[in-house]
Amino acid sequence: MADKYTLCLPALRIRQGKHYIYCFGVDGKRIHDFTTVSRVRREDDHLQGYQRPEVLSHINAIRRYLESDGAMLPNAVVLAFDERVKFKVSKTATLVDYTTVGELIIPIDEALPENDKPAWLVDGQQRSAAIRDAELAEFPIAAVGFIADGQDHQRSQFILVNNTKPLPKGLIHELLPDTAGHLPARYARRQLPTRIMARLNNEVTTQSDIDSPFRGLISTPTVPDGYIKDNSVLKMIENSLYEGALYQYRDPRDGSGDEEAMLLHLKIFWGLVKATFPEAWSLPPRKSRLSHGVGIQALGYVMDHLTDGIPARELPTLDLGKPLARLKSVCAWTSGVWEFGNGESRRWNGLQNTPSDVRLLSNHLLRSIR
Amino acid sequence: MKFYFPDSQDLVSPTYDFLHDEYSPLRVRQRDDLYAHEVLSRPPYDGILVSKAIVDGSVRGAGKYTAPQRARLHRLGVRKFFRLPRGVETLGDNGAFNYVEERIPPVTVRETLDFYQECGFDAGVSVDHVIFGYDPDATPETVDTEWAERRLLTLRLAAEFIEAVDAGNSTIQPVGAAQGWSPDSYADSVRQLQSMGYRRIALGGMVPLKTPDIIRCLEKIAEVRRPETQLHLLGITRIESMEEFARLGIASFDSTSAFRQSFMDDRRNYHSPETDYVAVRVPQVEGNSTLKRNILGGVVSQRDAIRTERECLRRLRRYDSGDCPLESVLDALSQYEAITKSEKTYLDAYRRTLEATPWKACSCALCREHGIEIIIFRGTERNKRRGFHNLSVLFKKMKKLTLCSTNGSRRG
Ligand SMILES: [Zn+2]
Repeated sequence: MADKYTLCLPALRIRQGKHYIYCFGVDGKRIHDFTTVSRVRREDDHLQGYQRPEVLSHINAIRRYLESDGAMLPNAVVLAFDERVKFKVSKTATLVDYTTVGELIIPIDEALPENDKPAWLVDGQQRSAAIRDAELAEFPIAAVGFIADGQDHQRSQFILVNNTKPLPKGLIHELLPDTAGHLPARYARRQLPTRIMARLNNEVTTQSDIDSPFRGLISTPTVPDGYIKDNSVLKMIENSLYEGALYQYRDPRDGSGDEEAMLLHLKIFWGLVKATFPEAWSLPPRKSRLSHGVGIQALGYVMDHLTDGIPARELPTLDLGKPLARLKSVCAWTSGVWEFGNGESRRWNGLQNTPSDVRLLSNHLLRSIR
Repeated sequence: MKFYFPDSQDLVSPTYDFLHDEYSPLRVRQRDDLYAHEVLSRPPYDGILVSKAIVDGSVRGAGKYTAPQRARLHRLGVRKFFRLPRGVETLGDNGAFNYVEERIPPVTVRETLDFYQECGFDAGVSVDHVIFGYDPDATPETVDTEWAERRLLTLRLAAEFIEAVDAGNSTIQPVGAAQGWSPDSYADSVRQLQSMGYRRIALGGMVPLKTPDIIRCLEKIAEVRRPETQLHLLGITRIESMEEFARLGIASFDSTSAFRQSFMDDRRNYHSPETDYVAVRVPQVEGNSTLKRNILGGVVSQRDAIRTERECLRRLRRYDSGDCPLESVLDALSQYEAITKSEKTYLDAYRRTLEATPWKACSCALCREHGIEIIIFRGTERNKRRGFHNLSVLFKKMKKLTLCSTNGSRRG
């Protein structure tokens, strides 16, 4: 049998100009008892509701996080109440005049159809669905509510709340290596590559990586003087990790990897690149195609070609200097002309960081060392 | 008779989570994923067929390989790239179907041979140009001139190909491609290829032909075929005619149809040695475009859809462990059919499948591991596993036929 009762939640009422907002805690498992997630639908030619459908992949990612150890959801969900919800003041005197302590009184009728529930979820649809699906007995969350003056008000709040910009990429590359705990899928995947890159680049923290040929050269928010684009190096590392020589250090069951071996592998190879082309290595991409995305990636393929399947500690026995020296006569990193054969040629700086130019240069380099 | 499976980058992810329907966020495609020969206890084919067009792209489409994958195929060679066990052979071809609409093949003999050699194939098919038509009575004089030109071009390219193979001291076994539009024209192609020195010949362009027409061509070819010449049928299965094909000199063939039926056929999705079954459709709410549209349009409640979808899966799993009656499973499936607004009902066919529980009788590693999941038509991971299972069934059927075909060839 469906129940009819009242839910009383301790709350703070905060005055904002002529509006009030209410801050309170609520068990996320119960949110759907009194909240509707209104979706866009048409009724008699009028636009009703305003919300998008649930994104299941996103919900799953949050659910997975919630079921992990020590999960926390510090940001509040936002609810728009209609006039059936009341606030009862319990203590008039507080230290500040804009905050009042009291109770939110929410009438619950389980028999009510979805669209007649007293609260609408303005923000937090994915989070509350994830809590609903998670294998947890309860999960109290912070909530902020307001009593709306009708649907337009609710809709504008929805747009405002959902208008945040994603974080800039450079910042994420820098934050990821030292982030602990559960991460969303697309970040989890990047964590190992960004950590390898950070150690290749790092100027101060790790003495052990003092021998990196990339030291201080990769441009990031905290290494603004670096001239090699972080994305170029990251792509080279990811390519090799997924398709090339670094894959041998990876565990396909959990995606972890032997970081030290990867670093050693990269340091040995790129150290030889630096030794083979000292001038081109020391110049910014504007003056050298070696420090440019096209050069870093093409040489990444050369590394994979020469060293795939060979463990880092055995690399010194390979005499990699020899094939790299053979490249000298066919490279035009800083001046002259690239001769690709079949009459195709480009000025030294005529190569761009596009998939087709990376392929053109990689094939050219690979042909020369075969 | 040998069966080759054409590669189209079909793999499954061993870390896929069937309960939550999600991939590990750390999964690396192809490398962490597994081929049919890696998930089944023994490879369900004698060899794989890899088309240059699938790897490098052609006029129609960009190919199925990413640039780094392609680089790795060239670097490691086909055996290591596919992680092939000993005994599984490799055959390269052009993928002539990808440029069937061009006037001439957009690829040269040199490029093709380079591809075979760099990747280290055991054998490679000469460059050909498909004739898309069949007219048993037409002669070279009366036939559509384009058809005649395509056949002559294919023969010219085959001559060029075997010359290049010989000149380059290549270890690749050359396979001559034969095209034709009639029994006579095919037979003449085979005769010419044999005199160029080919000991292995691939018959192309027969996919649209009816089985009796194929047999008529093979009979005509048999009149000129030298005893040592081995024939390969490109793209054809027709298991019911295999013994006949073998008697007429077919030594190998390739086909994706058993695999693709698992998710392309309307009814014959799951094969067993005796019969075929329909797979139980439980589409993902997010993966079904009609349902998605109806949810966006407010016609269907997403909550109801998700609830029913989960209920179907729950009951199917409990049915498999003996905790849920068949009627209750069918009831949930029928509700979900209503929500997804399925154009037709499969309920009777589902009843047949679920009553028979064919996955319980199968000894393949996938049915053993996944149970009823393998017969659920849902998402690529289940559908491809079912396709791999089908390959293993086909392969077993094939191997039973082999005995007859050796007898046959001894007789003939
Ligand atoms: Zn099976």
